[in-house]
Amino acid sequence: MSVYEWKLPDVGEGIHEAEILKWHVAPGDEVGVDQVILEIQTDKAVVDIPSPVHGRVAGILAAEGDVVRVGTVVINFAVDGDAQTTLRGEPAPVVAAPPTASAPVSPSASKPRRALATPAVRKLARDLGVDLQKVQGSGDNGRVLAEDVRAFGEEPSLAKAPPAEKPARAVEAAKAPASGSEVRIPLRGIRRSIAEHMVRSKFTAPHVTTMDEVEVSALVALRNEMKATAAESGVKLTYLPFVIKAVVAALKRFPYLNASLDDNTEEIVLKSYYHIGIAVDDPDGLLVPVIRNADQKSLFDLAREIHDLTERAHAHTLTRDELGGSTFTLTNYGSFGGLFATPVINYPEVGIFGTGRIQKKAIVVDQSTDEIQARPMMSVCLTFDHRVVDGGTAGRFTNQVMRYLNRPMDLFLEMN
Amino acid sequence: MKPDKEFPIRRVIDEDGQLVGDRSGVTDDELKEFYRWLVTLRTLDQRAWNLQRQGRIGTYPPFSGQEATQVGVVAALDRMDWICGSYRDWAALAYAGVPLYYPLLNSMGHPVSGNIPDSVQALPVQVVIAAQILHAVGLAWSAKLQGQDRVAVTFFGDGATSQGDFHEALNLASVMKAPVIFVAQNNQWAISVPISRQMNSQTIAQRSLAYNIEGVRVDGNDIIAVFQTLKEVAARVRAGKGPALVEAVTYRLGAHTTADDPTRYRPSDEEARLSHGEPVARLKRYLLGAGILGEEDFQRIDDEAKATVDEAVKTAESYPKSASETVFDHVYQDLTEPLKQQRAAFRQRVAEGGGQRG
Repeated sequence: MSVYEWKLPDVGEGIHEAEILKWHVAPGDEVGVDQVILEIQTDKAVVDIPSPVHGRVAGILAAEGDVVRVGTVVINFAVDGDAQTTLRGEPAPVVAAPPTASAPVSPSASKPRRALATPAVRKLARDLGVDLQKVQGSGDNGRVLAEDVRAFGEEPSLAKAPPAEKPARAVEAAKAPASGSEVRIPLRGIRRSIAEHMVRSKFTAPHVTTMDEVEVSALVALRNEMKATAAESGVKLTYLPFVIKAVVAALKRFPYLNASLDDNTEEIVLKSYYHIGIAVDDPDGLLVPVIRNADQKSLFDLAREIHDLTERAHAHTLTRDELGGSTFTLTNYGSFGGLFATPVINYPEVGIFGTGRIQKKAIVVDQSTDEIQARPMMSVCLTFDHRVVDGGTAGRFTNQVMRYLNRPMDLFLEMN
Repeated sequence: MKPDKEFPIRRVIDEDGQLVGDRSGVTDDELKEFYRWLVTLRTLDQRAWNLQRQGRIGTYPPFSGQEATQVGVVAALDRMDWICGSYRDWAALAYAGVPLYYPLLNSMGHPVSGNIPDSVQALPVQVVIAAQILHAVGLAWSAKLQGQDRVAVTFFGDGATSQGDFHEALNLASVMKAPVIFVAQNNQWAISVPISRQMNSQTIAQRSLAYNIEGVRVDGNDIIAVFQTLKEVAARVRAGKGPALVEAVTYRLGAHTTADDPTRYRPSDEEARLSHGEPVARLKRYLLGAGILGEEDFQRIDDEAKATVDEAVKTAESYPKSASETVFDHVYQDLTEPLKQQRAAFRQRVAEGGGQRG
């Protein structure tokens, strides 16, 4: 007598598991070859399983309703003789074996074996931030199965990729990959939204960027004067409120820049309201809160609102409404030292105005005498959607903004 | 035109085994031999199904229901005639002399199943739907050009007749008057697509009109009718009258393959109705009714068939295993450089334990 173990086979093409529907035999039963012993259900079919041997059922190892993986022993038979080997045709020699195949190779310490897993499981692992190499696979040859990944992902103590809430900067600074290795961060949350948004913008709107420099000594002086007054009211006055005022004033003169293109109806939508998005740099990724009706707000109002929105952007307490609906966007790449940039349009807007660092430069202040002086210069740029706006309009718009920045007192002329 | 009138189904024995036509040209001994073969092949087919369910072979495409067509056609051929079949035509190949363990080895992924013995004039089974129809035309045309006295027969299903290859093959054979017999086994189902949704033509045979070749329709479950029809058709084709299209009307008794579940798409009343006239039971009824064989004979034939199939299973399961890297063999005489690289990478992967199953 010997024991014949019967493993659940792949009864379809690429079936991984099956549900035990019904046993037609019980332990102790005598069965004949090809007698139906079991009904199983795969994702494709209900399948009768005929007994592979003549013998007595020694043990049933899976209950009705169990979902069993292919390759699992589900029934044992007590059989006469050595059925296991005769049935399997083992140990038949292997013909023309590849030279290295016969020697079982253990994973060497120096070169970690790549975890075995199907592409779908690899994707699942990436989605869940699970490192496949760390997962103990329960499939054939240690193959990692989807349920292994899920089980691993639920185990709190085990190392995972950084959670989506705090990935960007932490990873940037702390996780400099060891030489030759790499760290994979799942594209999630804010990062994913940014990625999708940027791709949509860049692949929809033909971007053109113009750059210029503007002399801002008057603006610097005005802001310095006002800063003290503002501080008395507890307001921190930066250059941004001035830039907003300058841009809004220019937008009123160039309505095609405060616009969007409706791709569905093929209409250019000109907007008579001025909601200005301000790009906020955050460790978790760029956020663009919106200052509504910026044209109706004072410099101090703007300064207060900018402060509030920025604080709450970092705290992640902005509402969805506060993060959308802008008609034009500003980005101050100068805040981290940038002189030039080619910003990406905050789609579906048609323009984004960028301000660079203010630094003193030697410039010709009098064209007739060629007198050169050191003056504070601000670099600016405008990226526009060339479907809606042409270079001439863009240039004239930029000049208008620069004029206000150069002569901020003129903004008083625009006051309503 | 009324295709069902124009192309009536030829039949000698009906579903109940009653003689309804002229049985001339087929001896009792031939019928006994046919029956022995049909039972053996049916036994093999059912055993193969079970072997797959037991995990002992891989995917298997059963031919149950089509044995009479395949055996009847091959029986009407000469030894040197070519046979080009698909994966469902192992019954034809077995009758022609291919060992019974070949289809089992084929489902075990063993390349030897493509190495047809020299004594049999057949191509390896074709998996690409309808491709073998063109191969048959090539072989027949070549035989004609070389002045050989051979015809080529090709088997294919109803689904294959929707393929471009089918029409190209019929056209070329017609133009070249290639001695080829196209045997469409209309088993009513192309996996889950019924013939009514496969074509708007009433019959497959009527398509012969478009190519101006002979077309006949025969009851594919009636081995006598198939044998007689093919004898006549082969004689005309051999005599240089051009190709012929034979539609053998039959029924796929089981699933498309072991990975298929026809209960999901096929009405059970249709199965009950069309299975009744299946070829093995039909011939048995006739032989019994005509007193050619008795119950004892049937029992003996069943037992012999079982023993024969047991032997085939044993041979297949003890056959030296095939190394997986044989997938690189048998296509190019000299392996191309990219394939050499792939083989090296494959060996490496196997050595590292990848790609193996427990």
